[in-house]
Amino acid sequence: MSTLQQLNDELAAVASGVQRSLVRIVSGGSGVGAGAVWHSDGLIVTNAHVVGRGHGLQVRLADGRTLPARVLAHSQDRDLAALAVDAAQLPAIPLGRSRALKPGDFVMALGYPWGIANGATGGIVIGVGKDFPELPHLAYDGVVANLRLRPGHSGGPLVDFQGRLVGVNMLMNGPEIGVAIAVDVVKEFLRETLGSPVPETIV
Amino acid sequence: MSDVLKSLSSDLAAVVETASASLVRIEARRRTPASGIAWSSDGVLVTSHHVVERDEGIRIGLPDGSTAEATLVGRDPTTDIAVLRTQASGLAAPHWLTLDEIKVGHLVLAVGRPSREPQATLGIVSALEESWRTAAGGVIDAYLQTDVIMYPGFSGGPLVGAGGGFAGMNTSALLRGVSVTLPAATIKRVVETLLAHGRVRRGFLGVSAQPARLPEALAQAIGQETGLLIASVEAVSPAEAGGLFLGDTLVALDGQPVRHMDDLMALLTGDRVGKSVTVAIVRGGEQIERTVVIGERA
Repeated sequence: MSTLQQLNDELAAVASGVQRSLVRIVSGGSGVGAGAVWHSDGLIVTNAHVVGRGHGLQVRLADGRTLPARVLAHSQDRDLAALAVDAAQLPAIPLGRSRALKPGDFVMALGYPWGIANGATGGIVIGVGKDFPELPHLAYDGVVANLRLRPGHSGGPLVDFQGRLVGVNMLMNGPEIGVAIAVDVVKEFLRETLGSPVPETIV
Repeated sequence: MSDVLKSLSSDLAAVVETASASLVRIEARRRTPASGIAWSSDGVLVTSHHVVERDEGIRIGLPDGSTAEATLVGRDPTTDIAVLRTQASGLAAPHWLTLDEIKVGHLVLAVGRPSREPQATLGIVSALEESWRTAAGGVIDAYLQTDVIMYPGFSGGPLVGAGGGFAGMNTSALLRGVSVTLPAATIKRVVETLLAHGRVRRGFLGVSAQPARLPEALAQAIGQETGLLIASVEAVSPAEAGGLFLGDTLVALDGQPVRHMDDLMALLTGDRVGKSVTVAIVRGGEQIERTVVIGERA
């Protein structure tokens, strides 16, 4: 098998691994976003802007079940929300560390771009942090990547080459540039709002 | 599992890290800072002319996070290259690739340093063609186009190959809508000229002109279909001193045919400055010759 074929197989494996923890979030008929299962007991992380006011919130799991969800915590500043659904033994996404990411590292984003299920886009890390002159409103660490986020990717996972969560997709800065909230910020958000220790899935 | 993807990811990050040792931030304009490359380890830097909006008060950001002053050695707007000099030490000169080491389809990274840390985007080489001339008349040794995204502040930064060698310097100012890279040969030529003379000399004639079709009989006699119809002659210019008039059609300069504006731009090189050259023109249906002393464009 050629190196390129092996690369293709590995990319597909990363995508299908992440898809198990990917959820679709529908908020009061106002549109579609994505989220990721943070913990197997039903804790889901997404963007605050996907959740909106939180009315009529529904989460569709990778196994096909659609469940009502309630908002446990949210932060407009960080554009993050934590949701709970009444389910157990969900496949939680393995967690990475955004501080360990370097420019050039491979990343993949998943979500529901334009409503398309499991839409994946790949690229590399442009930079990590909040020191981006062209993103003056970035108050918390972000992962800026050379990939194509679209409406519906919001709240979905940004993962590294091993499928570990390194960010939560937040916005596009032009057609070829995606910005995610760094996973280290998400951990801090959950610690602050849900208390310590934050349930993390150890892999 | 994930062997190739893991290697690819860490190799790309390693290429960026290596490249960043030769990469500086250039603070010489009001908006987003841009990038620059260490040309030599003794403090000569190259960057894009268009990001150096001021001649003084230029600061650079070094790989270790510190900042230093830089002075402008010179600039060549025709190739969008500027050369700076800094007293700061610790910069590594990169290894430059030759054109035969670059192939269409190769993975390449655009690397920049608009803020403290290096940044990178990934793409492939889209086209590698013969030399071309910019709208301002600069000669670029090869047409190197990629699909890398030029992130804000990436102008003046390198295009880096998979092995870490620098394929050239990226600029977003020479062509709109595509990412073009100046090959090392062009940068070397301009840097050496700017270090020696502080500027790249360009010849000056002092006319505005447009291509015009020659009468058929004349076209056959001369062996070319078009010339340049002179629309105006500047006062106190080489063209005026040499006796060129509005309405003349320029067909040759220094024995070389002039069919289009491109031909004339290519002939007005720095080595013709101050030289007497023969200019062939068509006036009143006949070809005549005049002698013009080529001036230097300011």
